[in-house]
Amino acid sequence: MNPLTLSLVLTTMISGTLIVMTSSHWFMIWVGFEMNMLAIIPLLTKEHNPRSTEAATKYFLTQATASMLLMMAAITNLLYTGHWSIMKLINPTASIMMTMALTMKLGLSPFHFWVPEVTQGIPLMSGLILLTWQKLAPLSVLYMIMPLINMNILLIMSLMSIAIGGWGGLNQTQLRKIMAYSSIAHMGWMLAVLAYNPTMTLLNLYLYIPMTITTFMLLMINSTTTTTSLSHTYNKLPLITTLILITMLSLGGLPPLTGFLPKWAIIQEMTKNSSIIMPTLMALLALLNLYFYTRITYTTSLTMFPTANNMKIKWQFKNSKQTMSLPLMITISTLTLPLAPMMMILD
Amino acid sequence: MNLFSTLMLLSLIILMLPIMSTSNNYSYPQYAKTMIFYSFMTSLPPTIMFIQSGQEMMISNWYWMTIQTMKLSLSFKLDFFSMMFMPVALFITWSIMEFSMWYMHSDPNINRFFKYLLMFLVTMLILVTANNIFQLFIGWEGVGIMSFLLIGWWYGRADANTAALQAILYNRIGDVGFILSMAWFMANSNSWELQQIFMLNLNNNTLPLMGLLLAATGKSAQFGLHPWLPSAMEGPTPVSALLHSSTMVVAGIFLLIRFYPLMESNKMIQSLALCLGAITTLFTAICALTQNDIKKIVAFSTSSQLGLMMVTIGINQPHLAFLHICTHAFFKAMLFLCSGSIIHSLGDEQDIRKMGGLFKSLPFTTTALIIGSLALTGMPFLTGFYSKDLIIETANTSYMNAWALLITLIATSLTAVYSTRIIFFALLGKPRFPSLILINENNPLLMNPITRLLIGSIFAGFFISNNITPSTVPQMTMPLHLKLTALFVTLMGFAMALELNYMTQNLKHKHPSAAFKFSTMLGYFPITMHRLNPLTSLVMSQKSATMLLDLIWLENTLPKLISKIQQNTSVMVSSQKGLVKLYFLSFLITMTTALIILNFHV
Amino acid sequence: MLKIIIPTVMLIPLTWLSKSNMLWINSTMYSLMISMTCLPLMNQFCDNSLNLSMLFFSDSLSTPLLMLTTWLLPLMIIASQHHMPKEPPTRKKLYITMMILLQIFLIMTFSATELIMFYILFEATLVPTLIMITRWGGQTERLNAGIYFLFYTLAGSLPLLVALIYTQTTLGSLNLLLAQYWIDSSTHIWGDSLLWLAYMMAFMVKMPLYGLHLWLPKAHVEAPIAGSMVLAAILLKLGGYGMLRITMMLSPTINFMAYPFMMLSLWGMVMTSSICLRQTDLKSLIAYSSVSHMALVIMAILIQSPWSFMGATALMIAHGLTSSLLFCLANSNYERTHSRTMILARGLQMILPLMAAWWLLASLTNLALPPSINLIGELFVTVSMFSWSNFSIILLGINIIITALYTLYMLIMTQRGKYTYHIHNIKPSFTRENTLMSLHLVPLLLLMISPKIILGTTY
Repeated sequence: MNPLTLSLVLTTMISGTLIVMTSSHWFMIWVGFEMNMLAIIPLLTKEHNPRSTEAATKYFLTQATASMLLMMAAITNLLYTGHWSIMKLINPTASIMMTMALTMKLGLSPFHFWVPEVTQGIPLMSGLILLTWQKLAPLSVLYMIMPLINMNILLIMSLMSIAIGGWGGLNQTQLRKIMAYSSIAHMGWMLAVLAYNPTMTLLNLYLYIPMTITTFMLLMINSTTTTTSLSHTYNKLPLITTLILITMLSLGGLPPLTGFLPKWAIIQEMTKNSSIIMPTLMALLALLNLYFYTRITYTTSLTMFPTANNMKIKWQFKNSKQTMSLPLMITISTLTLPLAPMMMILD
Repeated sequence: MNLFSTLMLLSLIILMLPIMSTSNNYSYPQYAKTMIFYSFMTSLPPTIMFIQSGQEMMISNWYWMTIQTMKLSLSFKLDFFSMMFMPVALFITWSIMEFSMWYMHSDPNINRFFKYLLMFLVTMLILVTANNIFQLFIGWEGVGIMSFLLIGWWYGRADANTAALQAILYNRIGDVGFILSMAWFMANSNSWELQQIFMLNLNNNTLPLMGLLLAATGKSAQFGLHPWLPSAMEGPTPVSALLHSSTMVVAGIFLLIRFYPLMESNKMIQSLALCLGAITTLFTAICALTQNDIKKIVAFSTSSQLGLMMVTIGINQPHLAFLHICTHAFFKAMLFLCSGSIIHSLGDEQDIRKMGGLFKSLPFTTTALIIGSLALTGMPFLTGFYSKDLIIETANTSYMNAWALLITLIATSLTAVYSTRIIFFALLGKPRFPSLILINENNPLLMNPITRLLIGSIFAGFFISNNITPSTVPQMTMPLHLKLTALFVTLMGFAMALELNYMTQNLKHKHPSAAFKFSTMLGYFPITMHRLNPLTSLVMSQKSATMLLDLIWLENTLPKLISKIQQNTSVMVSSQKGLVKLYFLSFLITMTTALIILNFHV
Repeated sequence: MLKIIIPTVMLIPLTWLSKSNMLWINSTMYSLMISMTCLPLMNQFCDNSLNLSMLFFSDSLSTPLLMLTTWLLPLMIIASQHHMPKEPPTRKKLYITMMILLQIFLIMTFSATELIMFYILFEATLVPTLIMITRWGGQTERLNAGIYFLFYTLAGSLPLLVALIYTQTTLGSLNLLLAQYWIDSSTHIWGDSLLWLAYMMAFMVKMPLYGLHLWLPKAHVEAPIAGSMVLAAILLKLGGYGMLRITMMLSPTINFMAYPFMMLSLWGMVMTSSICLRQTDLKSLIAYSSVSHMALVIMAILIQSPWSFMGATALMIAHGLTSSLLFCLANSNYERTHSRTMILARGLQMILPLMAAWWLLASLTNLALPPSINLIGELFVTVSMFSWSNFSIILLGINIIITALYTLYMLIMTQRGKYTYHIHNIKPSFTRENTLMSLHLVPLLLLMISPKIILGTTY
């Protein structure tokens, strides 16, 4: 893509999100969402092939629907209260519709269908943006309107997302789809605790983003998109296999890696609010996620792919990909659990 | 009196020296034998002092640990039983060690063999001298394991290994009884010290005594758990002589003797012991009748004598049983040594049908064998007489179960029968062994031990019974016919057996009678118990434990079921067709449902 | 505690900076020294515990386990030397690093004061073990074994996390040192029962309880030697340790919850022992024997009497050393015959006489010959079980018999009889191997002199 266009597109995308995050007027929020959505479409179709076009179309359709729903909710609320302010979302119908719109943008179940398909159709870099940056705007709105939304919807949807994120990923060999399902599950965790303690949602987001970035960076080094090709990594970059191993286990939430921290915090938060069954269920469903992450580690680093000898020459070629920030990201995404007491101050 | 305990401990410590020392020189067997001799000599003065003064003693040192309110320490009880048994055991071991130097001289691992024998001896002495049940258990298990190792000495042979495993299995069944009584005493008298247990003398102690009886049944090869003893004859002959005639197998009886203060007030256990002993003595005597393996005959006779000891316990005469242990040790060890001598001379031939006429070629062994057999049958004024005759007399005049007594009497006459059979087949008649065998019994290593035991078999009973003070009152007077019963049945047995042997020597059975089959098949016991039980339990473990429970049920109900469910759900969840229309339909449905259900609940 | 943890952490740089020919010897010697620095902890001068800091403490329950952990690392390193002679040094170093990591986690687990920290470290031990099993295991079944291992443990222990947090919110603290001062506030029976279940299940899966034990034979069999050793010796004991710690804080009114699990253990003990009778696979036999022994520990902990706690603790230590020793022996066979099948490596006494002595001693300790500490453990458990219910002696007795049977069956099968022809030219036993076996046996034998140091808190 033309650098100028790219910078323009990126700027629009970022500013769209920033507008959403900073405004307190429903209309401006809608504008921000639309800007963001329109700007990302070129990024999704960076590679001109039918898959990405289809993905972009699907993304456009769902996001546009969500925005429209958002607008409709805002207007319903306007009719009822005469306010555009996001702090005054007191009409239950409007609130429910707003929640739906935002969760649709986040890709929570049962609005999750687009996430794996869109992610699968687009390049890794765009996928990364889709699964990280694009979550910021809807989550920030949800964070702001948190006291006004129906908790039951959120809990039901989040539990469903965790389950679907787990089950969906079990059946995949495509890494981007797996990451998409992983994102669905993580969104479920974030929204589950939103009603109890939104700070924990943010904590989860802050840790989910580095972990996802790390994973995508590791995949981008070899442009790996399938489990099979990931299993060749050993021949090219032996060290990367170890990193994939710990990153994956961290994503799966195994202590003592970073991924356990948000899960722990969320379970603690929910248990404190005398909800016992829900966190237990969530924790057990998270095992499904762990299962497919473990499967990735199995193919990558715990077994060796039976390859022909000529595959092994690849390590001789110097890798030209820039991985400057990788060490930092890996450190953040695996070793921050000891900082847990510090993060607990967020409470 | 200080010398008393010092010397006793010294004789134990002397035994430890050869165990500790390395054993890779050629003179090790000699060294071990000498040390045992020293130990024997050292143990004599205290015994004599004990006989003289009758003072019992307990040494309790080396505190081990205190658990809650229970103190465990290393303590030795030097009372009548241990003081009398130690020299006997040491004397017999000394002789057998010397015999092994001849018998095992070609074995490359002879040093290890001696070490094993020594270790066995030490565990046996621990068992005998132990003052608390835990220490007794150490010795108890120790002799069991050493018997496993010694029976399986020729580890290349499958039979030896099977026999060793069999011995451990039957002993372990007995151990369960031992552990049961340990647990009971722990729970009820809060002590494992013998004195304290006896002092408390708790009521309704039938359960722990049953446990002890089970333990004794296992260790002393009583009926039900007896088949290991004849199988144990797979071991080298010195092992049979030491473990399976004189020391280890009497440990069970010894245990019951140790607990006689509890047993003498419990009639139920006494009757149980009496019946068990009577059945054992008859059953094994019957089995001995038709055996052809010389060692097996002696083994069955041991078992039969153990049954007799059990009968003695049953009629509440523990001291008499102990006397029989001591006297029995001499002549039974000697019988084994004689059979060892014969076997070795005939080139490892154990079948009495292939012997014959040995009184010419092995005169010394023959002498010893005949005297041993006569002592075994209780011929007057040989060693066996002093205990066996007394036992039969006491039994005859006691008020216990008449049926059991009758059985014991029959077994007594059968003792004479199978003894005759050995003598008749092995010693008399014409030689039936290959003529090219070099027979030589003039090795002092063979002669000396047999001589010593021979002297013991003749005089030991006299000495022992003259020197000990009987603690349980024996029968003082009895009618003449009762006095002569034992002698009479024995003589009858001899006469009958001799006649029968002459008559049937050249006869061939066309159809073996049921009684004959019963005897040769060892009462069908091994067939039923050794085939059926292992088969069922192994099939159980394979079919039910491994396959049904582990590999099918547990595997399928937990991991397989869960993974199946997850798999199906996962397929269901992720089978999207990519149709945006349908997605939007789902959005619509969700929206509507949410609005309808939740709108009015806020 | 830092004087143990920091040297252990520094083992990692030592490993990576060692020259490849000094790699094994350096790590072995250094870790052996670390295990020596643990010895002073044995001096429990205070009745309650040694509070080393806010985070770490040690008392007479955790110290023996701690000692066992640090003692086992050098042994694992010694045992693994031959496991991968052909692999590049980097991978050897990685392997050693995994063992060291595991050791760090284990030390901290056993000495953690805070239950949440205990939980996190308890889970943390999974990662290195998983990597060891699946990366360096033998057959392809190792992948399945790793999954079983990971998911059984996690599924069992996630409810524990919730339960712990719940307790923390109701009681305000999860500090083990304060555990005895906790007042159990809740009285409703359902909640307590569920709490009991959540607490116990995690550790029962780890122990493992019969019925939840399927991961264990798989993991033990497939793991490399170091993995098998540490699994059998320490990781199973984590469950016992956790149960012993947790039972003190459970409400006494819900003792009835223990009954089904005790029945299951009693039954499972006999079942797993009888499975051993039919095993052809040496490592699998040892693994099932671990299940059967651990069932004893579960029962002992569940009946909660001082004697049974002592028995459980003693049995854990004794079994730790014994089963690790048996795995080492099995491995020494495996390295020679390249098969775990017993029938392919029989009659070894002819060829490896000294090894046969180790086999004999290991078997004897495994079948609890007096006065070994195995017997102390089993006897105490049996005695306390007997006083709990007289009838339990029937199953316990059967188990005693079967244990002796399969242990001696294993001994006879591998050592006695005629040797097979294909083992004519196997290598003689190395000094390294003999050292390894004797380093297992020496503590076992020395502990007989004074078993009270491994009898735990109720002594």
